[in-house]
Formats: sequence, structure tokens, C-alpha cells
Amino acid sequence: MAFIKKTATPIHCTEHDERHTERDFADLVAELGAENETARRWAVRDLTPLPDASQPLVARLAYEESASVRAAILNALAQIGDHAAIAGLIHCLRSEDAGLRNEAIEVLKAIPQHVEPVIHTLLNDSDSDVRIFAVNILESLRHKDVEKWLIEVIEKDPHINVCATAVDLLSEVGTERALPALKQLKIRFEDDPYICFTTDLALKRIEDGSQ
Amino acid sequence: MTAITISNEDFLKFKEFFYRKTGILFDDSKRYFVDKRLIERIQATDSENFRSYFTMVRFEASGNEFQNLVNTMTVNETYFFREEYQFKCLVESLMDEIVSHKKDKSPIRIWSVPSSSGEEPYSIAIYLLEYWSGINDWDVEIMSSDIDTQIIEQAKRGHYSARSVQHLPKPFLAKYFRHENDGYQICDDLRSAVEFSRVNIMETSEVRAYRNMDIIFCRNLLIYFDDASRRQVAEIFYDAMKVGGFVCLGHSESMSRISSLFRVRKFPEAIVYQKPLEHL
Ligand SMILES: C[S@@+](CC[C@H](N)C(=O)[O-])C[C@H]1O[C@@H](n2cnc3c(N)ncnc32)[C@H](O)[C@@H]1O
Repeated sequence: MAFIKKTATPIHCTEHDERHTERDFADLVAELGAENETARRWAVRDLTPLPDASQPLVARLAYEESASVRAAILNALAQIGDHAAIAGLIHCLRSEDAGLRNEAIEVLKAIPQHVEPVIHTLLNDSDSDVRIFAVNILESLRHKDVEKWLIEVIEKDPHINVCATAVDLLSEVGTERALPALKQLKIRFEDDPYICFTTDLALKRIEDGSQ
Repeated sequence: MTAITISNEDFLKFKEFFYRKTGILFDDSKRYFVDKRLIERIQATDSENFRSYFTMVRFEASGNEFQNLVNTMTVNETYFFREEYQFKCLVESLMDEIVSHKKDKSPIRIWSVPSSSGEEPYSIAIYLLEYWSGINDWDVEIMSSDIDTQIIEQAKRGHYSARSVQHLPKPFLAKYFRHENDGYQICDDLRSAVEFSRVNIMETSEVRAYRNMDIIFCRNLLIYFDDASRRQVAEIFYDAMKVGGFVCLGHSESMSRISSLFRVRKFPEAIVYQKPLEHL
């Protein structure tokens, strides 16, 4: 038989190994700028459990060109979940780079508990894409105020796509409490066939559901 | 003696702790399952109540009681030739593609994680022997790991119930097993074909040594995790693999939703995930 056994051997700390372990905070931060991509990923990995890791990771994100290292940093920030980490992730939502933006959205959606404290700020952001994201994330929040926040959005938000996203979610989680705001929204955007269509759908779902 | 109970608050504390350590997330529907096992461990350790037990688990340097807790909380359900279409994919598509990219004669490395009681890695070995002619020309290393130390001991022993082997074709049962009074003993050749080890997939320090894998089987683990932990596992696998390597997940699990690091590859037998050949 051609099966052979070799136990995964512990990695010894050699200068040449990209995964060597015994490095202090400063070494690891320096290593974030290493030429070798694998070395950068391991520096991210080993920084993650250390206190104050968020700030250097966020800083690196601004320059990092490798998608795999960026993914490692975004996930590390999600795992850390402190204030600086979440602020760094949210900052990505404003990036020019669509890939980074989408990746950050996916990562944030997986950690609703960390996003909840800032959701109000996000729902009032000046950038409509950030507000759409905030509505999207409400879906994963399972918070008692989700419906209230959605109603506020459709009452106040000037942007049609933000409102449309909120209506979609309301048609799933909305109750009779949302009915007046939905009817009002139809009046506010009466010239827009799409909003009228989705709002009618939401109204019907909620009304049918409450019977 | 007053009966030991687990309050809502205790449950939440435990759930948070266990999730952070293992990636396994218990929702409220698992409450009964968790309470029952916690109470068993509290009694087995002569602890007074949940609080004293929980303090001991968190601060005990050896980690022994944490390991006992893990061993009772894991779900080890598995059997030979489970989700067989993936083993077909392995021998009909994946192995040949791996070989075609190889630049030297180094062994092909397969990691089956979680192993549970070993049915999965042994099924891989049987499939390779029976259905992949390349096994005569190439060396293959099969490694297999699990967080549960008790189940790994069982895997190494290789003794199985009738239920566990029920999907194996009879000729294979005859060829690779010995019928023993209360079950089936796998032959020594297969036992020595797989290297078992204890690994918590969520611990960076424990997975660091696993590298250069050509194929990873990770089936029926991610179902116990939430998306945040699944994303961490995707990162860990990426680092454990060679470029061009494949990840095979269980049929209800998907990588594309949780990670952009891998490419979806559709083979006639199965969908698998590939670490891209070119750098991302
Ligand atoms: C249902 S079994 C799957 C066995 C086999 N792969 C299959 O599909 O039949 C799940 C296994 O995952 C293991 N497990 C759970 N959390 C783990 C972790 N963090 N690291 C490694 N193994 C883990 C459990 O001990 C259990 O044996």
C-alpha cells in the first residue's frame, strides 16, 4: 500500500519560516509589511489575540493589495470586535473598492452583536450605500426594535433605494404598526412604480398575516 | 443534597464561553441537551453548583475538565461511505487533477477534519485503494483530526458497530474487516494508513502545524458553527492548503457564501472549493 504516515510536525521558530511563533507585538506589526503574502497572513493571525491589535490591522488595510491578506484582516477585525475593529470595518463601507466594500459587508453581517451598538449612527449616515447596508444588517440583528427602526427609515429617508430595501424587510418582519408608514411612503413616492409595487406587496403580506 | 439546576443566565454564560473556545454555537433549542450534560459534569467533579464548576473549567491550567466537557458536548454521528458521491469525486476527478499539477514526487496530503470515530478517513483510504489506480504510483498521507479526545481513541482502535458499516459493500467488509463478537474490527493495514490527532480547528496555535494539504474533507462540522466561525475556518483552511488544493464540505454546507478565498468547482460528482492556482 502506498499510504505513508507523517504527523504534522510542530513548527520550530526559524528565521525562515513564515509561521514562526515567538514574536512580540512590534515584530508582528513590522511583519504586516513583509514581502511574502503568507508571512503577512500569519502576522495577522498571530496579532489577533494580542491587546491593541485592531489599530495596526486597520492601518495595514489601507495599503494591503493582496485579497487574501485583506480577507484575513477583515476576519481578524470581526473576531476582535472591539471599538477600533468595528470602526475599521465600517470605514471599509466607504471605500472606492467595491470588492473591499462587499467583503466588509459580509463580515459585518456575520457579527450583528457588534454592529448593534452603532446601527443608529449607520442608519443616519450621509452616504446612502452605508444606510442600505445598515438596513440589510437589521435582518440579521433579531433585535426587538428592528421594526421601529425600519418604520423610521421609510418615514424619513430621502433616498428611494434605502426605502425600498427597508420595505422589503418590513414585508417579512412588519406588523400592523408599520401600516400607516407604508401607506404614507406610497404617497411620498407616488410617481415611482417600483416603490408602489413593493409597498403594496408588503401591505398585503402584513394585512393577510394579521387576519 | 439539593438538585443542581442551570439558570438562564448560567446557560448564556456557558454558551458564550463554549462558542468562543470551539466555534460551536448552541441555540435555545439545545438547552435540554446542554443542561443535562453540564449537570452530569458538575456531579462527576463533585462541584457544588454551576458557578464553582464553571470557574474551575475556566481557570484550570491543565485543561482536563474543559476536554471532558468538550467530549460530552460534541455530536459524533458518522458512518462509513457517508455522502459517498464525494469519495467518487475524489477518485474520479480530484486526485488526477492534483497529480497533474505536481512538480515532484512528494506525497499527496489529505486532511479529514473532523474525523469523529474514523469512518470518514478510513472510507477515503478504502476508496483510494479500490478505485484510484494512481495509488500504485503515488504516496498518500491521510491525516485526520478531531477536538474530542475520546472519539479519537475510538478512531485509532477501529472497532465498529453493524450500524456504522451498513453502507459498506459486503466485499469490502469481508476484505478490510474482521467480524468480532459484537462488531467489526478494521484491519491493521488501514489503521496504519491514517494518522489521528487532536485538534481544535478554532485554535491558531493548534492548526499552525497543518500545512501543504492537497485535499481537505470538512464535513458536518460547519453546521454547528455560526457564520463568523465558518469564516474563520475558511481562513484556516486557506493557510493549511497548497495552491490548487480542494476543500470538500458536507452537502448542506457552502463556502461561497462565507469566503471569497476559494473558487467553486463543479465536477460531475460534486461541487468542491478550490484554493486558486494563481495568487488572489
Ligand atoms: C458529526 S461529526 C462529523 C464526522 C464526519 N466528518 C462526518 O461527516 O461523518 C462532527 C465532529 O466535529 C467535531 N468538532 C466539533 N467542534 C470541533 C472543533 N472546534 N475542532 C475540531 N473538531 C470539532 C466533533 O467532536 C465531532 O466529532
